[in-house]
Amino acid sequence: MTATRVTTDSESAGRLHLDRLTKTFESRGTAPVVAVDAVTLDVAPGEFITLLGPSGCGKTTTLRIVAGLEEATGGHVRLDGDVIDALPAQRRPMAMVFQSYALFPHLTVSENIAYGLRTQRRGKDETEAAIKIALTSMNLLGLENRSPHELSGGQQQRVALARALVVQPKVLLFDEPLSNLDAKLRGAMRAEIRRIQRRLGITSLYVTHDQDEAMTMSDRVVVMNKGRIEQAAAPADIYFRPATVFVADFIGRANFIEVVPERMDADGTVISALGREMTVAAHPDVRANGAAYLMVRPETLSLAAAPEGGVGSVLRSTFHGHSVDYEVETNAGTLAVTVPGPEPRRLLAEGTNVTVTIDPGRAYVLNKD
Amino acid sequence: MTTLTHSSDPPPLTGAAGPPGPPGPGRRPRRRRRELSVLLAIAACVVLVTIGTVFPIGAVLASAFSAEAMPRYAEFFTSAVDLRILWNTLVLGLLVGLAGTAIGFLFAFVQTRLDVPGKRVLHLIALVPVISPPFAVATATIVLFGRRGLITHDLLGLEYDIYGLDGLVFVLALSLFPVAYLGLLGMMRGLDPAMEEAAMTLGASRWRIFRTVMLPLLAPGLAAPFLLLFVEAIADLANPLVVGGDYTVLASRAYLAITGEYDTTSASVYSLILLVPSIGVFLAQRYWLSRKVRTTITGKPSGSVHLITGWVRWPVYGLAVLVALVIVALYGTVIAGGVTRVFGVDYTLTFAHLHEVLLGVGREAIADTATLAIVATPIASVFGLVIAWLAVRHLPRAGGWLDFAGTLGVAVPGTVLGIGYLLAYRPDRYAGDFLVLPGLVGGSAVAGGSIAIVLAYIVRSVPAGLRTGTAALSQLHPSLEEASTDLGAGPMRTFRKVTLPLIRPALLTGLSYSFARCMTSISTIILLVTPGTRIITSQILSAASTGRYGVAFAYCTVLTAIVLAGFGVIRLLVGRNATLHRVAGSTERHKR
Repeated sequence: MTATRVTTDSESAGRLHLDRLTKTFESRGTAPVVAVDAVTLDVAPGEFITLLGPSGCGKTTTLRIVAGLEEATGGHVRLDGDVIDALPAQRRPMAMVFQSYALFPHLTVSENIAYGLRTQRRGKDETEAAIKIALTSMNLLGLENRSPHELSGGQQQRVALARALVVQPKVLLFDEPLSNLDAKLRGAMRAEIRRIQRRLGITSLYVTHDQDEAMTMSDRVVVMNKGRIEQAAAPADIYFRPATVFVADFIGRANFIEVVPERMDADGTVISALGREMTVAAHPDVRANGAAYLMVRPETLSLAAAPEGGVGSVLRSTFHGHSVDYEVETNAGTLAVTVPGPEPRRLLAEGTNVTVTIDPGRAYVLNKD
Repeated sequence: MTTLTHSSDPPPLTGAAGPPGPPGPGRRPRRRRRELSVLLAIAACVVLVTIGTVFPIGAVLASAFSAEAMPRYAEFFTSAVDLRILWNTLVLGLLVGLAGTAIGFLFAFVQTRLDVPGKRVLHLIALVPVISPPFAVATATIVLFGRRGLITHDLLGLEYDIYGLDGLVFVLALSLFPVAYLGLLGMMRGLDPAMEEAAMTLGASRWRIFRTVMLPLLAPGLAAPFLLLFVEAIADLANPLVVGGDYTVLASRAYLAITGEYDTTSASVYSLILLVPSIGVFLAQRYWLSRKVRTTITGKPSGSVHLITGWVRWPVYGLAVLVALVIVALYGTVIAGGVTRVFGVDYTLTFAHLHEVLLGVGREAIADTATLAIVATPIASVFGLVIAWLAVRHLPRAGGWLDFAGTLGVAVPGTVLGIGYLLAYRPDRYAGDFLVLPGLVGGSAVAGGSIAIVLAYIVRSVPAGLRTGTAALSQLHPSLEEASTDLGAGPMRTFRKVTLPLIRPALLTGLSYSFARCMTSISTIILLVTPGTRIITSQILSAASTGRYGVAFAYCTVLTAIVLAGFGVIRLLVGRNATLHRVAGSTERHKR
C-alpha cells in the first residue's frame, strides 16, 4: 500500500451509477410502500458519498440494492458502465461494513479477515501477506487470534473494516457503521475510515443518519427524504445553499423568513427583510415575485440591544456557556439567534428590545416548496 | 441472543425482596428476612419434590445398592445377554438422537431458509407428534410398514420385518423430532441475517455460507436437541413394548423384571444402569445450555433473510415433504383405523371400536384418566411456576438445586420412577404398630392407587411449567416486581398481582403442556395402574399388544380429541388473548 491515491486497474475503476433506482415493497392488504423513488446518482471513482436522511428515507434500502442484497423494482445499477442488476451480491466487486459489524463469532480476527480471500481462493502466501498488511494498517497486531467477543467495540469495527478492505473491492459500502460506538470513539473512527478511504481511493457509499458524520467525512452528501434525493452536493453547499426547505431544516438549524424576490441580478436576488433591502444568493429555481424563503442560520445573525426602536424583543434566552441561544420575536416571526462566545456584560435579558442584522453573504433564498 | 431453550444459569441479580429500605424511626435495624410466604412456598416445593421424586428414586438406589443386589452387577457385566441390552439401549439413543435432530434440522431449515410453498402446513404437520398419544405412531407403523403392512407388503410386495431397531428408530425419531425442530427453528430465526449477508458480500456462495457460517454457528445448538432425544429415546418404554420385537432395551427389561418376574432387585439394578446415562446426559445438557450460545456479537440484528430460490431448494424441500407425508399417512391411519373393521384387511366402516371406547370398557378409563389429569394439571403448573419464580427471583444460590429437583421428574426415565413408586409406596408403612402411611400402589392401595397416579402425573408434568415459567420470568425485568415491593406489596401479593398477569402466556403454555403430558404419559403410570383405576394409555397398550389395533386407534383418536378439548378449555379459563407483554429487553427485529 502506498500513500498516494491509487486506482486499482484502470482510470474508470469504481465508477458507480444509480439510474432511476426504485424499490416498492408490496405487502398483502396494505398499499405498496415506495421506499426508494427514482434515485439517480453518479459516483466518481474514489469519491466518498454519504446517504443522509431520517429513518425510513430509503437510504439503507438504496445501499442494499447497490450491494445486491435487495432487488430493485425499477432502474439500474451500473458499475464502470456495466449494468450489474442481475449479478448476485456474491459476484459484485463490493464489500460492506455492517451496523452490527456481522463479524463471524466462531472465527478469530485473522480468520474473519481471511474469509473473503479464502472465498476467492487466493494463494496461501498471498492471503497471509494480505492479512498481515490489514492487521498492521488497522492497528490490530496482537489481536489476530482473539475471538470477536473478546474485542472492544472499536476493535470490532476495525476488524469489520479490515475484512471488507482486504478483498480490494471496487466499491466499499457502509451501513451506519459507527452507530454502536460511543461518541468519543465515533470521532476517532470517522477520521480513520476517511484516512484509509482516501489512501486507497476506493469509491465509498456511506449510510448514516448523523449529519455531523456526513458533513465531516464526505466529498458529497446526498440528503434523502421519503425515498427521493433532495440534494446531492458538497457539505458546504448543502449547508449554505440548501436546495429545499427539508435540507435546510435537516442539516443544522435554520430560520425561514418569507420574502418576495424583487428582481434577479448577477449576485442573486434582491429582497427586503427586517426592514432592509439586500442582495442574497438564490437557488437557480427562484423567480422574481415568486413565493420564497430567506434562509438564515442562527449563528450568522447578529444581535444588539436597541433601547429605542429595534426590530424585535428577546422572548427567551438559553445560556450554554460557549454560546447563548436567543429566541427573538420580530414582525418576520420568531427567529433563533445563536451568539457564540458570549461576553458576560453583553448578555441580553428576556424582554430586551433588539436589532437583528442579517449577513447577506451567509444567507440564501430558496423556493417555498 | 438465542439459545435452544433458555439458559439455566443463575438468574440476574435482584434483591431477594426488593430494596431493603431504611429502617423506620423507632424500629431497630434488623437483618433482612425472607417473607413467611416465600418460606411456605419453598417448603411446599421441597415436600412435593421429596415425596414425588427424591424418595422413590432413593428407594430404587437403596434397593440397587443393597447387599443382595451386588451379585447381580457381576452377572450383568459378564452376561452377554445383559451387555447386549445395554448396548442396544445406547445404540437406540444414539440413532434416534441423530435421526431426530437431522429431521428437526431439515424442517427448521426448510421453514427459515427456503422459498417454497406450503411452509405453514409443514409447520403444523411437524407439531402433530407433540400431542400424539403413545403407541399411535408405533401401531400405525406396524399397520402400514409391518410384516403385513399396507405399504410394505400389499403395495410393494416386501416381506419386511419392522420389529426391532429399525422400527424403533423410525417410530421414535418421528415421535420425538418436533422437540428438535422447535429448538432449531428458534435458533435459526435468531441468527443475525447480517452474518450471512456479510459472507455474501465477501463473495461466498450459498453452499459456502451454509458450511462456513451457518453450520458452525448452529453446531453448539445441535448438541442440545441431540442429547434431549437421546435421553427420551433410552427412557422410552411404550415403543419397545410394541415395535421392539426381540430388540430389548434397559427400560423394557426392567419393566419385564418387575411385572413378569416380580424381581424388584433385578429391576432396581437395571434401573440404576439406565439411570447413569440418563442423568449423565441430562447433566451434560444442563451444563451445555448454561453456557451462553454466542450467536450474535453486538448490535441489533439487521438485514433480512435471503431465502434460497435456486433449484437446490427442491430436493431439500422434497425430503421434508416426504417426511411430512409419512407423518400424515401415520396419523391418517390412526383416524381411519379407528373406524374400520380391520385396517389393511377389511375396510368396512364400523363404529364398534369407538363404541367400545366411548360406551364400553373404555368409558371408565376415560373418566378415570380425565379426572386424575384434571386434578394433576393445575397443581403441576402452579408448582412449576412457583419453582421457577423462587429459582429466578428469590433463591439466587439454592434456586439451581430446586430447579434441578423439579426437573428430575422427567430426567429420570419413567420406568425407573414407576419402579421407585412401587418400592417406596406399595408396602404399608408402620411406625411401631401404627399405620402411618397406607400403601399407595398396588391392588390394595388407597383409592385404587389414584393418589400415586396423580403424584406421578404431577412430578412428570412440573418440568413443562417450570421451563416455560423460567423462560418468561427471565424476560421480565425485575424492576417491575421491585416497583410493586417498593409500593408495599409482599412477595406473594407481587407474584399474584404483577408477575402472574404478566406471564399469563407462560401459564397457558404450562397448563396445556402439563395436561397433554398427563393424558399421554405411560411409562410410569403403567406400573401404577390397578384394577380399580383404569388409564387410557395402559388400555391402548393392552389393545395394541393383543393385536386389536382398531380399538387402539379408536383410543388414540379419542385421547387426542380430549387433549385438544382440554387445550380449548384452558384457553378459555386462562384468557384467549394472553399475549406476552413485551417489557424489558424486548427484541425488535427487522429494521428497514
